[in-house]
Amino acid sequence: MAKRIHEIRDPIHNFIRLDSGEREVLDSSPFQRLRYIHQLALTYLVYPGATHRRFEHSLGVMELAGRVYDIVTEPDNIHESIRTIVPLHISHEHQYWRRVLRMAALCHDVGHLPFSHAAEKDLLPDGWDHERLTIEIIQSCEMESIWKGLKIQPDDVAKLAVGPKKYKDATFNDWEIILSEIIVGDAFGVDRMDYLLRDSHHAGVAYGKFDYYRLIDTIRILPREHEDSTEPALGIEEGGLHSAESMLLARYFMYMQLYFHHVRRIYDIHLKDFLKAWLSDGYLPVALDDHLQLTDNEVTTELQKAARDENHPGHDPARRIVNREHFRLLYHRNPDDLRKNPDAAEAIFDAACKKFGGGNVRHDSYEQKKSVLDFPILDNDGRIVSSQAKSVTLKNVPIVAVDYIFISPKYRKTAEDWLKQNRETIITQKEEDEL
Amino acid sequence: MKRRQRDAVLLSVIENLGAEGSWCGETHIQKATYFVQELLKVPLEFDFILYKHGPFSFDLSEEITAMQADYLLGLESRPYPYGPSIVFGESSEMIKEQFPKTLEKYNPAVEFVADKFGDKGVAELERISTALYVTLTGVVGGSVESRAQRIHELKPHVDIGEARDAVKIVDGIIEEAYEVQVT
Repeated sequence: MAKRIHEIRDPIHNFIRLDSGEREVLDSSPFQRLRYIHQLALTYLVYPGATHRRFEHSLGVMELAGRVYDIVTEPDNIHESIRTIVPLHISHEHQYWRRVLRMAALCHDVGHLPFSHAAEKDLLPDGWDHERLTIEIIQSCEMESIWKGLKIQPDDVAKLAVGPKKYKDATFNDWEIILSEIIVGDAFGVDRMDYLLRDSHHAGVAYGKFDYYRLIDTIRILPREHEDSTEPALGIEEGGLHSAESMLLARYFMYMQLYFHHVRRIYDIHLKDFLKAWLSDGYLPVALDDHLQLTDNEVTTELQKAARDENHPGHDPARRIVNREHFRLLYHRNPDDLRKNPDAAEAIFDAACKKFGGGNVRHDSYEQKKSVLDFPILDNDGRIVSSQAKSVTLKNVPIVAVDYIFISPKYRKTAEDWLKQNRETIITQKEEDEL
Repeated sequence: MKRRQRDAVLLSVIENLGAEGSWCGETHIQKATYFVQELLKVPLEFDFILYKHGPFSFDLSEEITAMQADYLLGLESRPYPYGPSIVFGESSEMIKEQFPKTLEKYNPAVEFVADKFGDKGVAELERISTALYVTLTGVVGGSVESRAQRIHELKPHVDIGEARDAVKIVDGIIEEAYEVQVT
């Protein structure tokens, strides 16, 4: 008899199980392509273990999304005031949304470009990002028959996979907002839970680990009573507060230690410079067939060729990656300069470009997208309170913000001396009319 | 509008809301900014969609975080069990002083909205701002009843009576706003 439930071994979750219908999605070519997209781009050049792919991360997200769904829809866990928005346990509707959620979680990254985020910024035409490609792939003819077989609507899958922030044409009701937050939410999104755990495991950076079993067990859908409203939101029971704190601290440390390691970031910039030079019109393809044919493998092959051949477009950035001759860190954001001028890094970048030429200087800037994680907590006495009022730790988790300026190795010493002498003049604030 | 110019206007929104008695959580800033931009036509260029407590801008939420990272905003605790207020940071005044012309130009619009919203709680702000969203994105000249129905459809926890009152309040605000709209 053919197997109905399939198990996949996984280093984070031990076993990931899916049924034969769900396996059709796993076996589809858009999903199989994720075997060839590195989760952390060129990070393996700095942390050699970080060679894992979007494929296994997506499986992990599906597994965790199912677990969270089962917890928050368990009748004993449903708060009285939101009972009307949660489908009746084990009803057809309940099972429908469970399947949609798991498939959305599985497919949430299918639109990723080669080398994940590294190549996304500036290399897609206006109005495009990987989430838009994800929506298009989920709604494509290739996937249509699979969704039909699973008896789920492709648009429901697309909505939950990318959430309201990235699917602006769609209107989400309260239930759909909650379900999309299970995948992509700032506080308890399982996408983040899985990538922290998985990236930490593969990179050998222990900071990303936290007690996610406990956290998932305590997630609840709660009214935002602490904000004087009855709108539902994902929150936790009081018992899960320490695990929530530990996850948010893990995020901070992983960003600072791993995702924003300055050498990793300059490799991303060199990769982007290479792709801009190599791609015929300077953009990655967005036509679905072309997009699906391009993976890290094709780019890596071309990168190696370009590094060896002086006449190859993108030779210079390619050799910087392959021969490890990357630009060096000249300046990074610091509180003293910021207090004098919030745009100090930009001022230094502009001045360095004038002095050493734009081709010899690079700027990398990132500011965290969301800081105030004000989610509801169901207190042991039955009150619903703000996480910010309940937790001193959450209130004090620092915001991740980086500004790096890199310089070509040949100017490193000269540029350091130049910056030492001119720093104060450069970062002086300008008047309104000068801007 | 340039980024720091826009930050100066946001600081002015926060300052004026505070002066009118608001405790200034993120929801207050989101809804006041929505009115300042969409009704008073201050060109802040935030992208609003219907989400948390009505019209919500992820761009604005991200800018508030970035302003915290740049010492332009801070958080202040409120009594348990409530969330924090968003307050001026160490460098807020520096940015305000950098853009006197911008602030002068948009102050009437900001003051108008702060005056209307300063004493409102989150639930009321949600109803009123959703009412404006439905009014601006729906059929032109839609009746009070049809707009109230739409609010209830989008936000089932807002009952029809509350939705109807919110639409009437918004119609009043729209009428008054003509005099201070940025042209």
